[in-house]
Amino acid sequence: MGHFVTSNDIPAGGEKLPDSKFKVAQFIFGGIALVGFIASIAVLCFNVGGKELQGSYSYSWLFALAFFLTISIGGCFWVLLHNMTNSGWGVSVRRVMENVGFVYPFIFIFTIPLLFPVVQDNLYEWMTAERKATSAVAHADKMFSTDENMGGFYGVSEAVKHKLNEMHYALLSAKSWFLNSVAWYVRYIFYALGLSIVIFRLRKYSVDQDTDQNPTTERLYKARGASAWGIPILGLTITFMSIDWLKTLNYTWFSTMWGVYVFAGSLMASMAVVILTTRFLKAQGYLNKFVTDEHFHIMGKLMHAFVIFWAYVSFSQYMLIWYSNIPEETMYFALRNTEGWFYLSNVLVFGHFALPFLLLLPHWAKKKPRYNTCICIYLLIMHACDMYHIIMPQRGPSLSNIWHLDNAPLLFIQGNYMWIGDILAWVTVASGFLFFLIRNLKSVNLYPNQDPRILESANMSN
Amino acid sequence: MTKKIKRVYGYLAEFETASKLYKGAEKVRDAGFKKWDCYSPYPLHGLDHAMGLKRSVLPFFVFFGGLIGFCTAVALAYGTQVMIYPTVVQAKPANLATIAAFFPIMFELTILLSGFTTLFGVLALMGLPRLNHPLFASKQFQKATDDKFFIAIEVRDSNFNKEETKALLEGAGGSNIELVEEEI
Repeated sequence: MGHFVTSNDIPAGGEKLPDSKFKVAQFIFGGIALVGFIASIAVLCFNVGGKELQGSYSYSWLFALAFFLTISIGGCFWVLLHNMTNSGWGVSVRRVMENVGFVYPFIFIFTIPLLFPVVQDNLYEWMTAERKATSAVAHADKMFSTDENMGGFYGVSEAVKHKLNEMHYALLSAKSWFLNSVAWYVRYIFYALGLSIVIFRLRKYSVDQDTDQNPTTERLYKARGASAWGIPILGLTITFMSIDWLKTLNYTWFSTMWGVYVFAGSLMASMAVVILTTRFLKAQGYLNKFVTDEHFHIMGKLMHAFVIFWAYVSFSQYMLIWYSNIPEETMYFALRNTEGWFYLSNVLVFGHFALPFLLLLPHWAKKKPRYNTCICIYLLIMHACDMYHIIMPQRGPSLSNIWHLDNAPLLFIQGNYMWIGDILAWVTVASGFLFFLIRNLKSVNLYPNQDPRILESANMSN
Repeated sequence: MTKKIKRVYGYLAEFETASKLYKGAEKVRDAGFKKWDCYSPYPLHGLDHAMGLKRSVLPFFVFFGGLIGFCTAVALAYGTQVMIYPTVVQAKPANLATIAAFFPIMFELTILLSGFTTLFGVLALMGLPRLNHPLFASKQFQKATDDKFFIAIEVRDSNFNKEETKALLEGAGGSNIELVEEEI
């Protein structure tokens, strides 16, 4: 056990990263993110690189967004869970979770291109169809467009529904109570504000306590209350965000487990990021007395749990669809079990579950720094594969459909270096993520030095 | 008139608080005792470290128990439904691709046998069930389920010495030190 941490070990005012630290890294990441974002906006929204680039880069951008949004939402979840369950073990790593979660409001800026119809047209067929139907109705005679038939949050107007049916979008017309532009934009605003407010408040409670002359337990109770209503907001955000942005890449597909599937992967990846950040700070000589092997053991166990939970949910989804064998459901897996995607599907089965499950089983796998770091990085790569597997197989069919490439290969479009775009988009958003993470880490103390349970957490054993 | 025969079990020392027990356990550990144990009304985190206990071998048993369960399930489901008597359900193939249908069985049997191994492994490692324990002969030991903490050092330990061990327990902060004898 060694040395017990006492209040004498807490420096007055807490431990903080000096201003000079990571200045260059932050500058480089910020620069890449800024330049990349401007270039991406030019390509995506103003069609600078041509139609083909715009089409394929829309998917690249969505992939990068999905990867980092899920990670930051996961960070919010760990904070919420920690406060909600009144946990004592993780007080010394709670600030790292808060900082990873607080990237969410900033990283959300990168979703702005999704608001542009030119980008939506490439990604979401239903939006194009709805726009076509709406403009067709607007140009036709005005017989339907009386006030009581106006479309809104609860669905498109009767005239547009009629038009959609005429255009052979009967399924979309039936789903329009959920899938309509008004509701989509309202939900976008909810994603932007809801979770941002939750994580901002929680981090503020935590940070304000550091400098208070009379730090009481009052803020802990407030944070607990705020987490109680924050959890449903997080659940709604990640469920409907994954439906709106990922699942409706093919709006005809049905799955009732989609939200929890994305959620499970997101928690695993975000815990990997929390562990990596903590390990990095420890390697730099911070948090030394306050984060021990015991904390890494618990965090590793949580990550391991969500490796299993991801497998549980994704297999359940697969098996139910495979067993009932309904075309509207199987098309998702039919597409992903064809051609090259078959190998990626198998990589997920063995690489996202079987291998890390066994690698993380021994207790030392969660404690040995180098081994644990490698596993965390590996799991992040697997999370990227997961997101790629969700988004990219749809790119070929959708774009061939839009560009009327009847004779082109359906799944891959030849003569196109789309994967370069995937990497560039990922690097851009990754730089943004790191820039804001460093900014969050530098702006506050590294651990809540005046939390009543900081010593309990530092001396914790499990 | 029969003469009662008694067998000495060892010293029992009482400790007032969990932290005193913790510090006492560290001293007994450092004195090199092997056959001794701590008793407390509730689980104490970190006491295993203070007692110098090594990690339990149970996880290895559980791993292999789970592995046996997994293999049993594969043999049971795949062997019967694909190899011996290929069963076609809903025109689905009876070959390696059918394995998705067997996953629930593999999962359940892995969990079941891991659970059994955990339960019976714990019982076997603790030497349970047993009818009696020599420490029950001590009156004050009943408080171990209420509000007192105890350390018992067995006479079977090679380091045991009637005077020195008693002095050690006293030095470690123990009170009401008693030489527990059971009737046989």
